[in-house]
Amino acid sequence: MARFLTIGERIHVISPVIRKALQERDPEPIIARAREQIEAGAHYLDVNIGPAEKDGEELMPWVVKLLQSEFPNTPLCLDTANTKAIEAGLKVYDPKPGKAIINSADAGSRIGMLEVAAEYGAMVIGLCAKEGIPRDNEERIAYCTEILDKAIAVGLNPEDILFDPLFVVVKGMQEKQQEVLDAVRQISEMGLKTTGGLSNVSNGCPKEIRGLIEAVFCSMAIQCGLSSAIINPLNKLLMDVIKTAEVIKGWNLYCDSYLDL
Amino acid sequence: MAYKKPVQKFTGKIREVTLGENLKLGGESVLPFYSFDGDTGHKPALGMEIWDVYPESWPATIVNELGDRAQKPAEWAKYVEEKYNPDFICLRLVGANQDAGDKSPEECALVAKQVAEAVNLPLVIAGCDSNEKNGKIFTKVAEALPEKNIAFLSAVEGNYKEVGAAVGLAYGNIVVAESSVDLNLAKQLNILLMQLGVKPEKMLMNPGCSAVGYGFEYVVTTLDRIRLAALDQNDTTLQMPIIMPVSFETWKVKESVATEEDVPEWGNQEERGIAVEISTAVGVLTAGANAVILRHPRSLQVLREFINCLI
Repeated sequence: MARFLTIGERIHVISPVIRKALQERDPEPIIARAREQIEAGAHYLDVNIGPAEKDGEELMPWVVKLLQSEFPNTPLCLDTANTKAIEAGLKVYDPKPGKAIINSADAGSRIGMLEVAAEYGAMVIGLCAKEGIPRDNEERIAYCTEILDKAIAVGLNPEDILFDPLFVVVKGMQEKQQEVLDAVRQISEMGLKTTGGLSNVSNGCPKEIRGLIEAVFCSMAIQCGLSSAIINPLNKLLMDVIKTAEVIKGWNLYCDSYLDL
Repeated sequence: MAYKKPVQKFTGKIREVTLGENLKLGGESVLPFYSFDGDTGHKPALGMEIWDVYPESWPATIVNELGDRAQKPAEWAKYVEEKYNPDFICLRLVGANQDAGDKSPEECALVAKQVAEAVNLPLVIAGCDSNEKNGKIFTKVAEALPEKNIAFLSAVEGNYKEVGAAVGLAYGNIVVAESSVDLNLAKQLNILLMQLGVKPEKMLMNPGCSAVGYGFEYVVTTLDRIRLAALDQNDTTLQMPIIMPVSFETWKVKESVATEEDVPEWGNQEERGIAVEISTAVGVLTAGANAVILRHPRSLQVLREFINCLI
């Protein structure tokens, strides 16, 4: 069994520092955020440039080249709804450290991202949604199957898709949490890989308990089969919980210092 | 539809470690001898054991063949190199044991130096029965023979700091991390040595050996699980090549030690010893060992043939 895959979420246009750095093409703040996430143990770095309707085709390659020249061993997850920007990023992406991940395709207007992934030999996150949040698991699984069918039709290996059942906020959608975990289980039982944004779950909660909520949800989801997550790797509790869950699942051989690695 | 042969692909790969000038160990990305799955890396290496003292307990044919050379380790080593040409020589410092002469670390270093100067083959140094004394012996030997890629058997939980610091850090030789058939400890010890600063390319591991019939199944499953963690889980802390002192174990069990006089129904004593040595070596090689240490020339010959037939 392969290890749990972590995708660091902290290069995101929603952060004012990153937004400014992206706008001004200022490398330093972006590199600093990348470095701290890699040092904290993130496997992939997500690069969210927002819709970037005006300059996405130029911005994405710039940031891909910047990060890859600074951190040649870290693969990237390209995150924007702008297909042209994704393609421009993939054109300059060096797959040596690992295939790029497109974040994301869905069963609706963004289903074309599957073709892009197939064309460029990339992986892709398949959001089990069409418009907004899926109503229930019947919808989730229907969208999952739609994505899978389309992927096979365009020649994309199902192994290259991380299915995201769409994690939802606990504060306000508490009654949906078990359903989401069950979706992870159902998708995993189909032999497919899964992922999800953990910060969705804790959104709006007090800062001091967000890390805990994410860690507990992640460990419960791992038991349901979750194979990767989009996370804040600076959340040490979460990273330790993931490492411990990997040991309990038998994905990593136990030794006394396993948390140090 | 045509049959498509399934291939077991792993993400991990065993590191390449160089013993002496250019004996490369490891490098495989498949299970041992699985050449049909991919790259089996470098051929497993076969070493021969010699002692720093007269090998009274050894099989008669070896002792007779050695004659006076058995008194002089450097000549013994040279003879082994010329006559049998193993991949490496293992000098075992039995004379440092209290009941076998209690040689000082300085005396051990002198013998090791003489042996190193007498042969061109890569050298492995094995200590005595005391881990505490081995810390001191290895420090002196490594100091006398710095930066030679000599492997030292072994660093254990009790002395890894001293051995790691001297052998690996100060004098640039190779540390063998030894655990007693405990895969969690095997991993832990590797991590501790790396945290100390020893480079993984200067490390080998001995996860614990026994003779066939003496908890050997557990030795084999431990090797299996270590290799699967290294290859399948890409566990970089377990990707060091494995060296196993097979002869140290097999020639002391009763099947090898009991005389024909005592157990006539077991047949010729030396033949038995060879059989135990060969079966043990074959067992650990097929479970993941990259190098084994042998005593009997016939074992060396059979093992060489065995490896060449499979790869």
